[in-house]
Amino acid sequence: MAVITLAGATLSFAQTAQDVAVIVHPKNTVDNLTMADLAKIFRGERQYWRSNLPVLVLLRSSGSHEREVLLRNVFHMTESEYKQYWVSKIMRAEATSPPTDLYSNGMAKEGVASIPGSIACISAADLRPGVKVVRINGHLPGEPGYPLH
Amino acid sequence: MSRHTWFLTALLLASVFTRAETTGGQSEDVKALLQRIDQLEQRVAELEAGKNTSTAHLQDLKAQDTQIPTGQTVEEHLSTQMHDEHSQNVRDVEGHFPSMQLRGFGDVDFSATDERGTTSGFTLGQFVLHVASPLSKKVAYFGELSFTAQPTSYTADVERSIIRYSYNDHFKLSFGRYHTPINYWNTAFHHGLWLQTTISRPEMIRFGGRFLPVHFLGMLAEGNIPSGSLGLGYEVGLGNGRAGTISRAGDNGDVNSNRAWVGRIFARPAAMRDLQIGGAFYRDKITPIPALTGTPSFGEWISSAQIAWTHETPELISEFANVHHRNNLTGNIYNSQAYYIQLAYRLPWEARKWKPYYRFEYTHVPASEPLFSAPAFEVTDLVGSTAGVRFDITDFAAFKWEYRHTKHRPTDPPVNGVFVQTAFTF
Repeated sequence: MAVITLAGATLSFAQTAQDVAVIVHPKNTVDNLTMADLAKIFRGERQYWRSNLPVLVLLRSSGSHEREVLLRNVFHMTESEYKQYWVSKIMRAEATSPPTDLYSNGMAKEGVASIPGSIACISAADLRPGVKVVRINGHLPGEPGYPLH
Repeated sequence: MSRHTWFLTALLLASVFTRAETTGGQSEDVKALLQRIDQLEQRVAELEAGKNTSTAHLQDLKAQDTQIPTGQTVEEHLSTQMHDEHSQNVRDVEGHFPSMQLRGFGDVDFSATDERGTTSGFTLGQFVLHVASPLSKKVAYFGELSFTAQPTSYTADVERSIIRYSYNDHFKLSFGRYHTPINYWNTAFHHGLWLQTTISRPEMIRFGGRFLPVHFLGMLAEGNIPSGSLGLGYEVGLGNGRAGTISRAGDNGDVNSNRAWVGRIFARPAAMRDLQIGGAFYRDKITPIPALTGTPSFGEWISSAQIAWTHETPELISEFANVHHRNNLTGNIYNSQAYYIQLAYRLPWEARKWKPYYRFEYTHVPASEPLFSAPAFEVTDLVGSTAGVRFDITDFAAFKWEYRHTKHRPTDPPVNGVFVQTAFTF
């Protein structure tokens, strides 16, 4: 069985086929986020890391498995509600734009590896070196209790 | 109301039953294409792994003084090209400064009431343009312009113009013209009528109204308060406050040398998504123009409370405000109150497009209140009910039908009206 090791975590492809990993830049000091933290970040309610570095949210485009997992588990919205949410948020001057939509996990990985404040969700099966995988509620993709799948 | 009014309403009702184009097939195509991209990326990764092996092999050959000039040149060229494309992609993802984003809001309305002296008919609502532009990673500009139809022309207004410097989530400082954060509705929906469930705003925060100051010009500090799952936030502002006409902000300078203060604290608990509870205060000195008899000024102290549960199943928005005026000439004190409660529910059928709603609102102004009873600054008592339904014909356009029953002074007859609106964003 093929195995990859990232940020001290050992993940198996068989276990992670449907899991969605949360990745950040390797120099980001965050190791663990709760689902509530993740919701605040992706909903644009938390816009800075503790180091005062601005958060840049990268999101897979509409129709992707990763986006569906996030909409269901983090946003608790449909695609339509998600679009309306960001129109409303920008109108309220709480954000200047919605999260950047990316067409592939490769683009998301490249963005996170290059931009220090970025965060993205990609299929755990597509993880490659160069990014840091964050624990969610203390769990990594493939572990029992991991919530993003 | 004429038969034409009912015919028009029936026609609009019938029109919304037209089914929207199905996009299911396109969605499946997009999913398939995205999966294909992921498969191709995996294939590229595998090939790159193979290429690295080839490169090592080529280097071995070079060490053995084998001539491979063509392959080497192509490899270097490809490597440079891939690096340039990667840098370009990352720059695109990171964003450009400034990068202006424009969004518009509009509405077309029809109204018919039994109020004496009014005529039924269509009106072109406000045409609103909203601008958002990041100027750097921590500085952003927001603007809102409105164009409103008048009998002989259109009036253009700068509704909001804000530049914000963000240090972190806990401290953001901005300067400009705002919708006063004394009221939830005022800061949640602004001039985007598509955003609000109903056709009309509550009377207490009506555009051009005088009960609460809709606009505020000055500076505002805002941010989150470290409070864990309670999700506390604050806003504190210092500005010009009300102009002499009291329905407007002092855009071209304050009418007196006393600044207005506004403060708001709110909670968005993590455990109850879409719930916001808050309270606010506002302090100002009002110098009415034209002056009242004896030229009094008024100390104003507004306190308000809000609760908004925007989950849609149900939606509940309720606000209360007390406007405390002190006549600085006589020392007399007057308190006026207003509140509203609005309930709505997104129905589960027909792709969740229907949302019926009801709102009750109430305003009380003491008869002896010298400012709000003066003809130029008049605010009257109100007991009103609004019932309606919203139909979202697409993700970004809605039809609304509304019936209103309002009664102002005890001596005034009640007013009944039917209103129809299509509101949209583009």
